[in-house]
Amino acid sequence: MGQLILGQLLNGAIVGTLYGIIALGVTLTFGITGIVNFALGAFMMLGAYMAWFLTDEAGLAYPLAVPCAVAITALAGLLADQTLFRFTRNNLVNGLLVSIGLIAVMEGGALLLWTSTPKNMEYVLPGVFTFFGLVVPKMKLVVFLVLLGVILATYAALTRTWIGRAAYAYSQNPEAAELMGVRTKVMQSGVVVYSTGLAGLGGALYASLYSIDPTMGSVYILKAVESAILAGIGSVMGSLFGGVLLGITEGVGSIYLPIAFRDAYGLIFLVAILLFKPAGLFAGRR
Amino acid sequence: MNSVRTWVPMVCALALGAVTFPAVGQDVVKIGQIEAQTGPLATYGWMGNQGAKLAVDEINKAGGFKVGEKTYKLELIAPDTRANPQEALIQMKQLLEQDKVKFVFGPFLTNVFNGIEPYMTQNNGKFLLMGGATAIHAQLGTPNRDYLVRTWNWDAGETGFGQLMVDYLKKQGAKKTAMLFQNDAFGKVAVDIYSPIFKAAGIELQIELFEPGTKDFSAPLAKLATGKPDYLFPGYTDAVLYDIVRQATETGLFKKFFLVRGSMGPGLKNKDQIEDYIAYLPKYFEEAEKSEPKTKAFVAAYKNFYKRDFPYDQAPLCSSSCYDHVFMLVEAMKRAGSVDDVAKVKQALMSFTYNGIWNIRYDKTGEAVFGFDVVHLKKGGAITSTHIEPK
Repeated sequence: MGQLILGQLLNGAIVGTLYGIIALGVTLTFGITGIVNFALGAFMMLGAYMAWFLTDEAGLAYPLAVPCAVAITALAGLLADQTLFRFTRNNLVNGLLVSIGLIAVMEGGALLLWTSTPKNMEYVLPGVFTFFGLVVPKMKLVVFLVLLGVILATYAALTRTWIGRAAYAYSQNPEAAELMGVRTKVMQSGVVVYSTGLAGLGGALYASLYSIDPTMGSVYILKAVESAILAGIGSVMGSLFGGVLLGITEGVGSIYLPIAFRDAYGLIFLVAILLFKPAGLFAGRR
Repeated sequence: MNSVRTWVPMVCALALGAVTFPAVGQDVVKIGQIEAQTGPLATYGWMGNQGAKLAVDEINKAGGFKVGEKTYKLELIAPDTRANPQEALIQMKQLLEQDKVKFVFGPFLTNVFNGIEPYMTQNNGKFLLMGGATAIHAQLGTPNRDYLVRTWNWDAGETGFGQLMVDYLKKQGAKKTAMLFQNDAFGKVAVDIYSPIFKAAGIELQIELFEPGTKDFSAPLAKLATGKPDYLFPGYTDAVLYDIVRQATETGLFKKFFLVRGSMGPGLKNKDQIEDYIAYLPKYFEEAEKSEPKTKAFVAAYKNFYKRDFPYDQAPLCSSSCYDHVFMLVEAMKRAGSVDDVAKVKQALMSFTYNGIWNIRYDKTGEAVFGFDVVHLKKGGAITSTHIEPK
C-alpha cells in the first residue's frame, strides 16, 4: 500500500505540472489583461494536434515538432489577441464571453479537420525508470522536467529581469507603470501570446503521453483554473504548486475513494482550502 | 417586360421542381443509418457505416433488386451522431418524418439508443430498427417495440459470446480478473452482465469504473494491480483501450488482457510489451480471407471502393448493422414482396439464415446469432484464432 501511495504521489505531481503550466497562463493573463482566458484549453488542444501532425503526418522529429507546435500556437494566440482579446482588456465578462466563443470556434475547426476520433501519436520515448520499486514512464519524467524547467524559468524571468518587474509593476498599478515607461499594450499582447505558447507546450507534451481529441482542453482548463484559485491568482510558483497539489489529491484520493468521481476530489479539496484561505494558499506571493 | 415576368417564374418553378423531385419514378428505397462515425465512441459505428455504404453501392451497381414487378435501388442516409443522444434524436426525427425512411440501421451505442428509444417507441409499427446496442436486448419482445431487432450476439446465455469467451479464459488458467470500465450506461450494463458469468465460471472479479474522459489511468491500474489479477478486462472502445493498454504495459502493472468489445489495434501497437491479448472478434479477417472466398471478395471490394488499405484492426467490428445486414434486408424485402410493409419484412427477416461473410440468423426474440473468433495475440505479435459457431 505504501508503494501504491508513493506511486500516486509521484504520478500526481507529474500530472499536476500539466495543470500547472496552463494555470500559469491563466494567472499571467489575468494579472496583466484582467481576463480569465478559458480558451487556453483550446490552445492546449491546438498544440497537441500540431505536435501530432508534425510528428506522425509530416515526419518531423518530435523534439523539433514541439517548438514548432509552440510557435504555431503562440501565433494563433497573437491572432486571437489582435482580433479579439485586445478589445476586452480589463473587462472580465467580455473577456470570458470571447474566450468561450473562441473555444467553440477552435474545437469546431479541429472537428472539421481531424474529426472527434482520438489520435494516438507514435511512442516518442518508450520504457520506464525504476527508483526503489517505483516505476515511472520515461516520457512522463521528461514532460515533468521540461514543464518544471519552463515554470521555474518563467518565475526567474519575472523576478530577475526588467520585463518581469515591469509586468509586476503593471499588475499592481497600471497607470503608474505606464508613466514609468512600461509599454503596456505590447506587454498585454506579449502576455497573451506567451500564455498561449505555454498552453501549446503543455498540449505538445501531452500528445506524447495520451490520446488527443478536440475536447481534451476543456478538462485541463477547468483544472488549471482550479489550480490557480487554489494557489491564489497572481502567484507564479503558486500555479505550479496548485497544479501539483490538485494532481496529488486526485491520484491519492482515487486509491481510497471511487475512481469514477475523481474530478470531484479536487473540487472538494479546493472548497475546503478556500473556506480557510479565501484568497488561496499562496496569495500575495510571487 | 411581360415576357420576363412570364419566363422568370417559369424557369424558377422548373428549377425548383428539378431540385425537389429528383427521385420521382426512380423506385428508390431509402434506408437510414444512425451511428457515431466520428468521436471517441465511433469504433463500431464508423466501420458499420463503411460496410453499409459498400453494400448499397454493390447492390445499386448490379442494377438494384426486384420486388414483385418493380426494380428498386437503395439510398443510404447516414448522419453522424458523434455518440450524442440529443443529436441522434434530431437525426432520427429527420429520418422518419422528413426522409420517410422505413428501415434504419444502428445505433450500436447504448447511450444513443436510450436517448432515441422513447421517440421510436411512439412511432412503433412505422419502421424497423436494426441496431447493435446492448440496451436493445432487454427491450426485444416488450410491448410497443415491434420495431426492434438486434444485430449483435448477446453476451450471456448458452450461445452468448461473453459466456463462451469466459469459458476460453478459464481454459487459460485465469482465477482472478480485473474489470476496468467507463462509468456510463454501457459500463454499468457490462458489469451486470459479466459479474454473474465470471462468478459462475469460478473466476474472481474486481471492478473499477472510471470517469468518462479519463486519459491517465495510473491510479485505477495501480489500485487494481494490488489485487494481483491474472487478466485485465478493460473498457469497450479503442478511445480508452489505446491509453489503458499502453499505460498498463509500460508500467508493467498488467500484461494480460481480455476484451469482449474493441479492436486488435491497442494490442498490436503494444505487441512487444503484452503477454496475452485475448479478444472477441466477430471475424479475424487476416485469417478468414485466406480460406473464405466471400471474405476475400469483401476485402478486395473495400479496397477498390474506398481506394485505401483495408482496416484489418477495425474490420471485424463491422459485423453489426453493416455490410451483410444490407443484403439480408434486401433479401427479406424480396421474400416479403414489399419494400414498405415493415411487419412483413421483419417477419421475413427472422425466417431465414443469411450466408454472407457471416452466417446470420435471428432467434425468436429478434436477436442475431452468428459465429465469431476468439483471437489470441501473444508477445511479439503471434496470433492464434479459434472460430466458435453458436449452436
